[in-house]
Amino acid sequence: MRFLLRRLGFYAVAAWASITLSFFIPRFMPGDPATAMFARFRGRLNPEAIIALRTAFGFSGAPLWKQYLQYLGHVARGDLGISISYYPATVGSVIAQALVWTLLLSGVAVLLSFVAGTFLGMLGAWKRGGWLDSALPPVLTLLGAFPYFWLAMAALFIFGFGLGWSPLRQAYDDRLVPSLSWPFIASVIQHAVLPAATIVVATAGGWMLSMRSTMINVLSQDYVLFAHAKGLSSRRIMFQYAGRNALLPNVAGFGMALGFVLSGSLLTEIVFSYPGQGYLLFRAVKSLDYPLIQGLFLTTTLAVLAANWLVDIVHLWLDPRTGP
Amino acid sequence: MAAIVTLTVGFTAGCGGARPVPTPGVLEIAEGPKTSAFTRNFNPLLEAGDMRWPARGSMYEPLLIWNPITGQYVPWLAQSFSFSDDHLRLVFTLRHGVQWSDGQPFGAADVAFTFELLRTHPALDVLGVGEYLRAARAVGDDTVAFDFTRPFVPGLEDISAYPIVPAHIWKDVADPLTFANPNPIGTGPFTEVTSFQPQAYRIERNPRYWGGPPAIQALHVRAYPANDQSIMAIVNGEVDWAGDFIPAVKRIHVGRDPVHHHYWFPALDATVAFYANTTVAPFGDARVRKALSMTIDRARLVMVAMHDYTHPSDGTGLSDAHERYRDPAAVAAGQAWVTHDPAGAERLFAEAGLLRGADGWRRTPDGARFAPTIVVPVGFSDWVVASQVIARGLRAAGVDVTMRTLDYNAWNDSVQKGEFDLSMGWTLYSNTPYTFYRGLMSRQSVKPVGQDASDNWHRLAIPEADRELTALEETVDPEKQMRLYHALEMVFAREAPAIPLFPGPLWGTFNDKRFTGFPSENNPYAPLSPNLFPQALLVLTRLLPR
Repeated sequence: MRFLLRRLGFYAVAAWASITLSFFIPRFMPGDPATAMFARFRGRLNPEAIIALRTAFGFSGAPLWKQYLQYLGHVARGDLGISISYYPATVGSVIAQALVWTLLLSGVAVLLSFVAGTFLGMLGAWKRGGWLDSALPPVLTLLGAFPYFWLAMAALFIFGFGLGWSPLRQAYDDRLVPSLSWPFIASVIQHAVLPAATIVVATAGGWMLSMRSTMINVLSQDYVLFAHAKGLSSRRIMFQYAGRNALLPNVAGFGMALGFVLSGSLLTEIVFSYPGQGYLLFRAVKSLDYPLIQGLFLTTTLAVLAANWLVDIVHLWLDPRTGP
Repeated sequence: MAAIVTLTVGFTAGCGGARPVPTPGVLEIAEGPKTSAFTRNFNPLLEAGDMRWPARGSMYEPLLIWNPITGQYVPWLAQSFSFSDDHLRLVFTLRHGVQWSDGQPFGAADVAFTFELLRTHPALDVLGVGEYLRAARAVGDDTVAFDFTRPFVPGLEDISAYPIVPAHIWKDVADPLTFANPNPIGTGPFTEVTSFQPQAYRIERNPRYWGGPPAIQALHVRAYPANDQSIMAIVNGEVDWAGDFIPAVKRIHVGRDPVHHHYWFPALDATVAFYANTTVAPFGDARVRKALSMTIDRARLVMVAMHDYTHPSDGTGLSDAHERYRDPAAVAAGQAWVTHDPAGAERLFAEAGLLRGADGWRRTPDGARFAPTIVVPVGFSDWVVASQVIARGLRAAGVDVTMRTLDYNAWNDSVQKGEFDLSMGWTLYSNTPYTFYRGLMSRQSVKPVGQDASDNWHRLAIPEADRELTALEETVDPEKQMRLYHALEMVFAREAPAIPLFPGPLWGTFNDKRFTGFPSENNPYAPLSPNLFPQALLVLTRLLPR
């Protein structure tokens, strides 16, 4: 327990650091949102209106430390401000809308990829040299080595444009009203399959390879040999003896991957025009929407930290040596 | 991105599949700015935000609508207007019997209220009427008087264009700057929001519309997360009316259905120019600017950068929207320096003391190599290509020019502050050439280097131009106005303050399978682009279902 609390303390410091960074980094970018808006009007924006807008958006020109303290206060109250590109919607409501889709798409895809990759790796190592072990890793590595952007474009091109199997954009058919009805859920699934599949295909190879190599290592351990000698069923050895021990590095990696789910698979969402966090971040950066960028950074880092803490707990259960 | 668009769109030409079928009587429109999820914002005064298209396209209306095709104001909420003799008062007589969509009568009090709102909230006054407007007041039910602080006739353009909001609703709005106006009450033809989802919304017609109930049942707008997505939808016939740039439009769009798919890209938008910063030697010398201009192969530039959707500018710099102001004498006077003429450029460079050294590169009179930099915002692919064409011409003429692509905001910052050598840029667009020339030549628009300037990035003031511009602020006489515009064109042709490249096209496409009456090259009653406010109202009130 003390171990977990100590970790929690460490995460609190990390959270503060990330909150601070997410305040300062956008401010080091050239230009500010009001000038960006200038451009949209191609100069036809009255200078006084600009000054007034800057103030309205909270770019008061107050000293940075003052703005920083103000920002900390707002964050503590859960007030992330008003989005500039979705003005006058609040950052909270904009993120909430996108969060659902990201959790759904990336969450399911990462989980599927992890489970499938790890299982295949385990199986491959168990039957070393079998057809699974010799055919799958090169194929998955090859697919994973393609630039993801290209892979996703190709998938959209072939299955979306060419064959018409998959919708080309968005998270559901816009003729439907969101509800818990079957047509709506079916539409959501239909829209998610292709993007999720590209994530799985692109990332499963990594899980498989790392699981396979640790598994091979573990399989040569004496206790596995001993288990064989004892006459335990091979299924039990594979899962309980070798698998559980080989899983550790992958679980650590999974924690990281889970955290990054919230940043949205940026490229996936851009290519498939999926209305999640990644697409939102892309738009926010393009339009210099500081409050939204900050809000997205914040949710992402908090998610990464939370995921890591969960991984700590799982680790403790899988490997008692890491405990106190 | 343009390459990707071409690729994907080219491919779809051969595929069908299940595409959404539009409902009969419901006009499908593609909104200008792309987004994946709509914010329910129908505040027409909040241009800076994420306003939905109908707020200014179909719900709230202005006093007059300028029609750039005819060069006339179309009476809208106002029936007529007049200036007082001293040009200090502008009076509008309003249309009688107009109702708000909730049944309340529209009147002078609403107009006065709207402008009072702009005066008290400068952030809403994006056109800057506060600069010259003292007060707007209702004189009876149907008459509104605008009092000016100084004679400023061009103010008519901005005052007549603002959307009018209902006083009886907006007086209770605490902060119009953050008001999203989710349930709008307007005077326009389509006002009733019957469905609003993040991915699509639907606006029904206003049964109380003063022009009579619109012939179309409703408008429907879908969210397109990116341009290639909306182009896909247009090409597939899912969209009836759109204002998107489409590459190879004849093949990709018209080719899909030559009977119903149409486009019209008239060069009515602002002129795109090449700016030479006059605070950087030797660009203060008009001969150097003209020589630069003569190295540019505009025909080639328009072909490779603009897909031949427009044509090279002449020596007045005017866009096609200002055709009626164009003076043939000024065009002739400026013809030499907008023609691709390397020999002529050679002569002018030599006159200005920029001679070629032994290595073939030009030197400035103090012996340094003449090596300016062209800055261009990354991602503006058409401008990048155009700058490359320009750079090639300059290098052939012995100018050791380099191109630097900058992040958009860094670029924006450097041109606005006047800290650049050469750059492409837009010019200001307005109904008359007044704003265009003011932004290029007036002392009023010159800011010191290092200070943000929305126009006159090249920092050039020509006193003669200021005299004509001031005279224009004080006259409503069309003949006198025309003389003054012609004089300004002559000054431009003589001084080459900026190097005009081409007038920008206004993108507009339509599909007349289900609706007829769109403006086109054959029926040019208004511009086609739905992204042009408030001119979109002219089209919406003319469309008929088939």
